[in-house]
Amino acid sequence: MRIEAIGCEPLQLRRVHLENSRGLDVYRRNGGYEAIKKVLDGMSPDDVINEVKKSALRGRGGAGFPTGMKWSFVPKDSPKPKYVVCNADESEPGTFKDRYLMERDPHMLIEGMLIAAYALNAKTNYIYTRGEYKYLIDIMDVALEEARAAGLLGSNILGTNFSCDIHTHSGAGAYICGEETALLSSLEGLRGHPRMKPPFPAVSGLYACPTVVNNVETLTAVPDIIKMGGEAYQKLGTEKSGGTKLWSVSGHVNLPGVYELPMGYDDMEKFIFEDCGGMLDGKNLKAVIPGGSSVYIMRADQIAGKDVRMDYEGLVAAGSSVGSGGFIVMDETVDVFESTKNLTEFYKHESCGWCTPCREGTDWLVKVFKRIDSGAGRPEDAQLMLDLCDNIEGKSFCPLGDAAAWPIQSAIKRFPEDFARRLTRNGDGIS
Amino acid sequence: MATELAKVTINGKLFEVPKGARLIDVCREKGFDIPSFCYYADLALQASCRMCLVRIEKMPKLQTSCTITVTDGMVVTTQSEEIEKAQRGMTEFLLANHPLDCPVCDRGGECELQEMTFDWGGLEERFTEQKNYYAERYLSPMVANDPQRCILCKRCTRVCDEWMGEEAIEAGGRGAHTVIGTYLGWLDCSQCGNCIEVCPTGTLLDATYRHQTRPWELAQTISTCNFCSDGCQMSVGSRSGEVRRVVARDRYVNGINGEFLCVKGRFGHPFINHADRIRTPMIRYKKGGKLIPATWDEAIRHVATRLDEVAEAHGRNAIGVVGSPRLTNESLHVLRRFATELVGTENYTTTDLYSLQTFFENLGAPLATHRDIRYAKTIVLIGGDPSELQPLTGKQVRQAVRNGGAQLILVNPIPIRLREQAAIFLHTNPGTEEAVLLALADSANDQLAAKKGGINSEHIGKAREMIANTAGDVVVMFSAALSSEAQAVLGQFATVFGGEGRRVLLHPLPLFNNSIGAHDMGMMDRHLSPEQLLDAAGETIRAMYVAGSFLPEHLKDRADALSKLDFLVVQELFENETTASADVVLPAASYAEVDGTFTNNSGQVQRVRQSIPPLHQSKADWMIVAQLAKELGLDFGYELSASAVFRDIAKNVPAYSGMTYPLLKDESQPVQAHYATAASESDGIAELRKQVENLDASGEKITVTPKVGTELFRLGRLTEKVPQFQLLASGNPRPETTAVSPLYQITVLREQANGHG
Repeated sequence: MRIEAIGCEPLQLRRVHLENSRGLDVYRRNGGYEAIKKVLDGMSPDDVINEVKKSALRGRGGAGFPTGMKWSFVPKDSPKPKYVVCNADESEPGTFKDRYLMERDPHMLIEGMLIAAYALNAKTNYIYTRGEYKYLIDIMDVALEEARAAGLLGSNILGTNFSCDIHTHSGAGAYICGEETALLSSLEGLRGHPRMKPPFPAVSGLYACPTVVNNVETLTAVPDIIKMGGEAYQKLGTEKSGGTKLWSVSGHVNLPGVYELPMGYDDMEKFIFEDCGGMLDGKNLKAVIPGGSSVYIMRADQIAGKDVRMDYEGLVAAGSSVGSGGFIVMDETVDVFESTKNLTEFYKHESCGWCTPCREGTDWLVKVFKRIDSGAGRPEDAQLMLDLCDNIEGKSFCPLGDAAAWPIQSAIKRFPEDFARRLTRNGDGIS
Repeated sequence: MATELAKVTINGKLFEVPKGARLIDVCREKGFDIPSFCYYADLALQASCRMCLVRIEKMPKLQTSCTITVTDGMVVTTQSEEIEKAQRGMTEFLLANHPLDCPVCDRGGECELQEMTFDWGGLEERFTEQKNYYAERYLSPMVANDPQRCILCKRCTRVCDEWMGEEAIEAGGRGAHTVIGTYLGWLDCSQCGNCIEVCPTGTLLDATYRHQTRPWELAQTISTCNFCSDGCQMSVGSRSGEVRRVVARDRYVNGINGEFLCVKGRFGHPFINHADRIRTPMIRYKKGGKLIPATWDEAIRHVATRLDEVAEAHGRNAIGVVGSPRLTNESLHVLRRFATELVGTENYTTTDLYSLQTFFENLGAPLATHRDIRYAKTIVLIGGDPSELQPLTGKQVRQAVRNGGAQLILVNPIPIRLREQAAIFLHTNPGTEEAVLLALADSANDQLAAKKGGINSEHIGKAREMIANTAGDVVVMFSAALSSEAQAVLGQFATVFGGEGRRVLLHPLPLFNNSIGAHDMGMMDRHLSPEQLLDAAGETIRAMYVAGSFLPEHLKDRADALSKLDFLVVQELFENETTASADVVLPAASYAEVDGTFTNNSGQVQRVRQSIPPLHQSKADWMIVAQLAKELGLDFGYELSASAVFRDIAKNVPAYSGMTYPLLKDESQPVQAHYATAASESDGIAELRKQVENLDASGEKITVTPKVGTELFRLGRLTEKVPQFQLLASGNPRPETTAVSPLYQITVLREQANGHG
């Protein structure tokens, strides 16, 4: 397991290797809480938002929405209280970066949230953590208590008139609660169903008040943006994708782990074969899912010799996307039919049941996968599955319907041989 | 105020529609059909069925037209290959796990999923896998559930929450295994059955109508409910002279209540065809003897002779005439003419619990319709508990607050369930709500009211301010149990709070379906209470003619009053305490067997229509009285026509002048009686102050909210005949298994217990 920054100075991973890295004193000795000091020392909320805008920081949870813009949508003149909510419901299969950040550097998240709360004038803020991360809540609670005792949280932070507090909240184990509006429903104590957009949370979020929901990694990027300035942060990456990004690497490589790469890292082939220590047991690369399970799966020949740049634009150009940075590498032993069936079972299990296409579509797709798996595949099944995906894609209530459709669509189109083999009558190879 | 218009292009045609209108409504109004399941007018948006997809220019994906409001320049396509594919795809998804058991489904024939599939579905089924299975079950004695048929539109959970404020059903489980159910496995709620009504499939079903008939075999008759004073419109489904079910489905009926009904309206009908109905006229030839069946001619002659004898011996005022507030206006009108013109007595009244005569005599503002309540800006509720006693009014109040942003001012000694919606709850000492009313009407009484009511006088000031600052309608509703002094002040409430841009509307809350009609027909104009009449029995009152019967509340402490009479005639459906003392019992027809009208608590005169022929030898109450009158020498000339009686009403009752049955035909356009309104000359406030000063305010405050059903499940003369209501009244016990009808289980168990005992 390798945890390493490559191609850049470690920002997010700066302290994770230090002894007792989650302690407040270690954090402070290594540049911690300097950014909030700088903010409280004369920056206006607008200054902060401008720096974040300049940094070209994009949401690290998966959608990649520009963070500064999201913050600027919060109406300043609203008389309602405002909230910053940290989305720590890291549940995208193949993604485990937020977990390391919270486990090894919880104060970085607290500082990032403090700066966001200052910029948005939020007094009460929440860290919503997936139910399976119970131990992380304990770690965060200890860190929050430390910060409170040190005057970094609560009233009159660092002796200024800025006051705000942060609370932790546990989910109950539903994938849908990583979707920001479902997260807010769950945080309010309701069933974890997504809500209608518009209104967007920035206008009407938690308890119908203006709310910003940001991923852990997004918020932990903020202290560095303030310290080095938005422009300098952006320059670490590319024009439209600023800064650095964490990649959770898993699968058939020799050195899986969490990697911090500058945005625009060149290129994916080098990343797999050099940085991640190459393929396990020297097998051949078959497929990569670069951004968590909900993105298009890539064939080896879309990577080899193709100079795939690892940033938002580069991956879209290569036929996939950054997503949450859950980088899953598969070697030639993997049957993409099997892996896609596995993923679809996940989406079926996690479909919240609110809207028709996602609820019934994923259920039906799993049934088709199982039938094929049992040997009763039919030549027309590939077309049936694509058609079902088409009836889900773009028609579901929240983006999770799309997320369930994309892996299947790309798998059938890019690995037709893995499907065709099963979709024959009597195994005679005629499809 | 002119509404701003927006230009919108739908399928290439340009329309001008109000800006902000909902796109799905606009499209449908303009003739472009759009399918939907979860969209239901006036319920929270759901956008989950994904049937109503349309293409809007400049938007990246297909959009749900139920969530889009029209903006200027919007270009919409509702029909295209892409949209059709999406809609067929959704229907296919909805049917994937649906059992397709239409031939054995009670909803078959009136099922929205069926219709939608015919209109928008695909031609062939591609789903060949195993369907998810859930067993059928009962959720309560009233609600049966087949989870497999569910398409999760969640209309049911939304009506339960938004209309009823009960949140008794909710979805459990996740994804394709989501199932609508209850919290503790048994439905603990008011059993209104609105979840059944709005269900577009056969998922939630009327347990009392299970497998009885197919819907198309029923004759649907639009009629008015005969329980509370709200006057809900409903469709009575009958077959072979038997009422099988009552619904408010919008495919059959479209009244003031929409698809809303309460537990009594929906499930209370089995009394109609009950085996205990009185079958023939009966005569008790001597006191203490038995009631012997007789022919109509015999019975009528017997009554005529005996009434003549009493009048001759003791004078005409020795005969009391009593009508029930459950009777039609027609019956009450004929009864009053009988009392005044033929008998010539001053002693007539109705068996209502409360009189609103003083209120109507002091009426200074129009009565609020249920629609007015839904769109009111401020609602004042003094006493009463509409959620239990006038459920439609309760629902309208709840929706006005939740969906319309109205402010509710609640004055009540009991923390009733509506307090959840109240902006201001003035929780008074028992029996002192009138003190607050006095203070609201005149601020000089704030201290008195605060002292008597045990409340903070500042809160009264706040409530008064809230009413005075209202832009829009103020609806003042009140329990009919308030004293006549209070009613006089309430009638004149508009003079206190009316003003520019603010209407004050009044909404009395009497208990019975035709309490208001009984006033209108003049049955209460003697200010005589049934108790007074009973107290005089055997003394100044020697005989009584009762259409209906006295309530247990009237007979309490007066059990022997009726036996003191020389002669008692009762027209009834069932034998009871009143018929026990009767010398002649005449079988009356129920509301389902007669034509007529009821007047509801909004003063709306609504039709009652005959859905089955009168049972056995029963007759409409007015026909019996008219026949007796003819025997006594006065022919009203109505022959056998209720509409002739109503023409007579229109001629004699000013508030009903100009009304005819054809005018009352359309239940979606109810006609309100035009009551005379006048400024009062007497000083009602001074009278009320005297009354308040003498109030006993020593009672301890009631802090417990009554359980759902406290009033609704209390057995009445009619509901006690319905076995399901017996179960509800005994606490709605959860049976051993929910797979078998609870009624069957309990009946069988009872029989077994009896057999072994």
